[in-house]
Amino acid sequence: MSLLRVENVTKRFGGLVAVDNVTMEIAHGEMMAIVGPNGAGKTTLFNLINGVFFADEGKIWFEDVDVTHYPAYKRAHMGIGRTFQISRPFASATVQENIAIGAMFGAAGSETNVDQAMEMADHYIGLIGLSSHRDKLAGGLTPIEKKMMEIARALAMKPRLLLMDEAMAGMNPKDIDKMVDFIKRIRSEEGIAIVALVEHIMRAVAGLAERVLVMHQGAKLVDEPTKIALSDPRVIEVYLGVPPGEADA
Amino acid sequence: MKGASRYLPSIPVLLAYAALFVFGLLNPGRWQLVAQLAFYCALGQAFNLFMGMTGYVDFGYVAFLGIGTYGMAISISELADKGLGLGVIVIGLILSVVFAVLLSLAVGAVALRLRGAYFAIATIGVNEGFRYLIEGARIWNGSEGIIFSRQLREMVGREAAMSLSTFWADVMVFGVAVIATVLTIVYMRGKIGYALAALRMDEDAAKVMGINVTRFKIIAFITSAALAGLLGATAWALKLTYVFPADVFGIHYTVEAIIIVLLGGAGTLLGPIVGGLIYGVSKYYLAVYLPGFQLLVFAPVIIVVIVLFPEGTVGMIKRKLIGTALEKYIL
Repeated sequence: MSLLRVENVTKRFGGLVAVDNVTMEIAHGEMMAIVGPNGAGKTTLFNLINGVFFADEGKIWFEDVDVTHYPAYKRAHMGIGRTFQISRPFASATVQENIAIGAMFGAAGSETNVDQAMEMADHYIGLIGLSSHRDKLAGGLTPIEKKMMEIARALAMKPRLLLMDEAMAGMNPKDIDKMVDFIKRIRSEEGIAIVALVEHIMRAVAGLAERVLVMHQGAKLVDEPTKIALSDPRVIEVYLGVPPGEADA
Repeated sequence: MKGASRYLPSIPVLLAYAALFVFGLLNPGRWQLVAQLAFYCALGQAFNLFMGMTGYVDFGYVAFLGIGTYGMAISISELADKGLGLGVIVIGLILSVVFAVLLSLAVGAVALRLRGAYFAIATIGVNEGFRYLIEGARIWNGSEGIIFSRQLREMVGREAAMSLSTFWADVMVFGVAVIATVLTIVYMRGKIGYALAALRMDEDAAKVMGINVTRFKIIAFITSAALAGLLGATAWALKLTYVFPADVFGIHYTVEAIIIVLLGGAGTLLGPIVGGLIYGVSKYYLAVYLPGFQLLVFAPVIIVVIVLFPEGTVGMIKRKLIGTALEKYIL
């Protein structure tokens, strides 16, 4: 049984086919990357998976439940967590409150009261190493701190699937390596499947994912284990332009 | 903040209401001013529970006060001769809440699916539309309204009717303000408060975090409307002993509520009473010294407040108190 199954999903915006008949699967605990150049439809696919948009055609199954028409909050309750490409903190709430909101309303939300959520938040604040910023307003964090806080907020939701949209964009190679280690760690500690969207940071893809789905102009181009996918001539041609070894960050 | 200490910010608010009440009792000559101030504070407190907490501006808010006024008016005019005594007042209060809740469900089910400014536009017509419906369809006597001072006198006697509308109605307004304060802090400190804060800051992110935003908006909307219904039943129906649609559906009351909440600080607990007192006192003295120019004075004041102090008076005070011992008392 796969955790998530996307079947022939299409999304159009007017005449533009943003996601074109994409089929994909993610197993429990799997680590996968979706790569593709700007405009390939990666974020739209994410938005379809977690219910920000609804698919025009096709079906989405999560743990064998047809969630195609479920609103975003229901999918969150079922265990789909998400971080954003451009961080979206609740800016005038504290770091602790931001993360506690994830605990209060996520998959374990119905059994979590405010005090418990605050305690859970403290745990995840420690995990991301922001303990000294606990009572700071989230709007005042640096961009990287905001990204970390978003990950903690999504983890506090106790997801089974975590969608990470460009978690490493704008980071230097050292930070990327740190982030890759961190994502690997939370994946093994929390036992969740992770799908990471990456536009062009091949260093992250190679270090992180077991499998890579390459998107091009809304459609699925390649869906293979990482090594095979990144050396596929079609990928190199339409997406990388140069061999993957020289495409670091 | 854990346990009972999270409710500490209600203390200054409740003390302020108590102080205002005692001031009124000690200065009978000023009771009318005190009653007016209590009305503005209660109006702000009830309105803030929705507008302050969700960031949505309901321009049709006065319709809930209006329909609450009718709830009390109908109860007294229909049941006065049934020998229920003061039970009629209780029924009137319940009816005003029921009416306001039903209307808020109807309005909310449609309008709360809209975002921000679209919601505001959708609600502008609600009170006008409702007023014309009552007048045009001749519901509840149409534009002739309901005058129930005679029934009230026959029901409880001349003396009691007098003290009901000149004193006890105002006491009940204080009661509404206190109920609104308590509900506000319970909401703010509960999960619903975090849900509303999240959707106020970023509604899309809130949905992705698992927050059923429509549900929480509707809960806040209904609560705020029910309080408005009670306010209409007490501050208007019991106090005036008549109701005319042209009086109780005036949009300027909604505008006053918005001014009070913005002056005090939207989404704060202390804001409505601060805003209500500033607004009420300055309106009173402007009416004395610059009659007719109140609105002309208020318009620029509001613009200045919104530009310079977008978080209102209390937001500004809160900033100053961060890190001090008083911080935990201000919300």
